[in-house]
Amino acid sequence: MERHFIKTLDDLKMTLLNMAALTQRAIEKATQAYLNRDEGLAQAVIEGDREVNNLELKVDQIALKLLALEQPMARDLRFILGTTKISNELERIADQAVNIAERTLFLCQHPPLDHIPAMDRLIEVVKSMLDTAITSFVEENTQKAIKLRQMDDIADKYTLEVLQVLIANMVQSTPATEKRIVNARRSVQTIIISRCLERAGDLATNIGEHVAFIVEAINIKHQKVDFDQS
Amino acid sequence: MENAPKLTARQLNFYYGKFKALEEISITINRNQVTALIGPSGCGKSTFLRCLNRMNDLIPGTRVEGDIRLDGEDIYDSNIDVVSLRRRVGMVFQKPNPFPKTIFENVAYGLRVNGIKDKKILKDRVEKALKQSALWDEVKNRINESALGLSGGQQQRLCIARALAVEPDVLLMDEPASALDPIATQKIEDLIHELKNNFTIIIVTHSMQQAARVSDITAFFYMGKLIETGDTETLFTRPALKQTEDYITGRFG
Ligand SMILES: Nc1ncnc2c1ncn2[C@@H]1O[C@H](COP(=O)(O)OP(=O)(O)OP(=O)(O)O)[C@@H](O)[C@H]1O
Ligand SMILES: [Mg+2]
Repeated sequence: MERHFIKTLDDLKMTLLNMAALTQRAIEKATQAYLNRDEGLAQAVIEGDREVNNLELKVDQIALKLLALEQPMARDLRFILGTTKISNELERIADQAVNIAERTLFLCQHPPLDHIPAMDRLIEVVKSMLDTAITSFVEENTQKAIKLRQMDDIADKYTLEVLQVLIANMVQSTPATEKRIVNARRSVQTIIISRCLERAGDLATNIGEHVAFIVEAINIKHQKVDFDQS
Repeated sequence: MENAPKLTARQLNFYYGKFKALEEISITINRNQVTALIGPSGCGKSTFLRCLNRMNDLIPGTRVEGDIRLDGEDIYDSNIDVVSLRRRVGMVFQKPNPFPKTIFENVAYGLRVNGIKDKKILKDRVEKALKQSALWDEVKNRINESALGLSGGQQQRLCIARALAVEPDVLLMDEPASALDPIATQKIEDLIHELKNNFTIIIVTHSMQQAARVSDITAFFYMGKLIETGDTETLFTRPALKQTEDYITGRFG
């Protein structure tokens, strides 16, 4: 017979994975909505957030119960602490998706800006970071967790690029005042979107750190890692 | 001397007849620390504990190999006086075992065995031991009543007082709280924290939580072998060996 404790641990893991899937979908949909100027999809992201919040509460609930009733030790203890931290990161990533969706709703009210290639790349990197973070948890793979920090540097680079493109755009834009204000507004909202993505990437990196803590009981959070730049 | 280990076991083997109950145990026990021995039933915790004050000598057909040193001195050396060894290394058992005598006489017992007759000294030492075992306030007005009238938790602290009265250096405790309710258990645990300032304590416990709460060092035994020793926090949060991990997370066998 399977121990009740192990079953509850599985339950905790499943709830977290469920939450991870929803969060990943929220980022996917939010970026899709932005790229395609799809108001309906943006609206769906905003409405879907409640489900992620509920799952976060459920993770906390199960974790608290396990801590109080089972006095877990060693890896079990780290796993339970780790899942609560990861669920917190996921919840905040989902909030970034909501923020992106809200900016998108604004942008849809105005004619589109010129295409920004750095934004496409940023979206790709951040989605792939989220994917890597979740896989590192599922596979208990610390290597992937460490790789996230490298990806994070790339995300930062693209975020800066988006900012530079948009500042240049604001400075050079047409002299007509009304148009100029609209242009600045669109640009600022788009910069906020890039910031949200960058933030989501940071949070995904944190998830990797929690995975390293669960798997190897090491703290990679504040230690410098030398990446070979290949 | 201050930093020298209190007790060391080196390549200790122990036999009950042909059965080898302990195999190649090497461990260093520091003074003024609490060391917890954990492991599944029958792994040799009590046997090891009894080696440390030669209580196993009382069991016929037993044999020891390797050495155990107390303050650097081989306790199995033929020059060692076993009575004085047991005074230096006191023991408290799982079930409180007060004698059917007064509270005072229970605590004074070891002192009398050691030839102390002076009334004033006896009185002082009994009082001191009862204070050290955090029982004094509860019994000071009934010191001449039977010890059998005490609660289980009080009886256990009385036995601790009895062990402390002879002023040992080391206190061996074999599941001292397993027969007690949570409040009495907590008192014993608080007491252990107090006592380690003056004594070196080795405690056997089946409660991982208890080991985690009271000890500085934890040693995990399995099938007569010492598998892993480490500082308690590390052992319970990130043990080095999978066997230890499996045991403390309840995934054994
Ligand atoms: N007096 C004895 N004669 C023969 N074998 C013994 C004797 N005492 C203990 N043993 C054996 O030695 C092994 C270790 O026993 P010990 O009592 O030291 O285990 P333990 O770890 O204290 O177990 P528990 O947690 O159940 O108290 C066991 O296999 C036990 O059967
Ligand atoms: Mg025993």
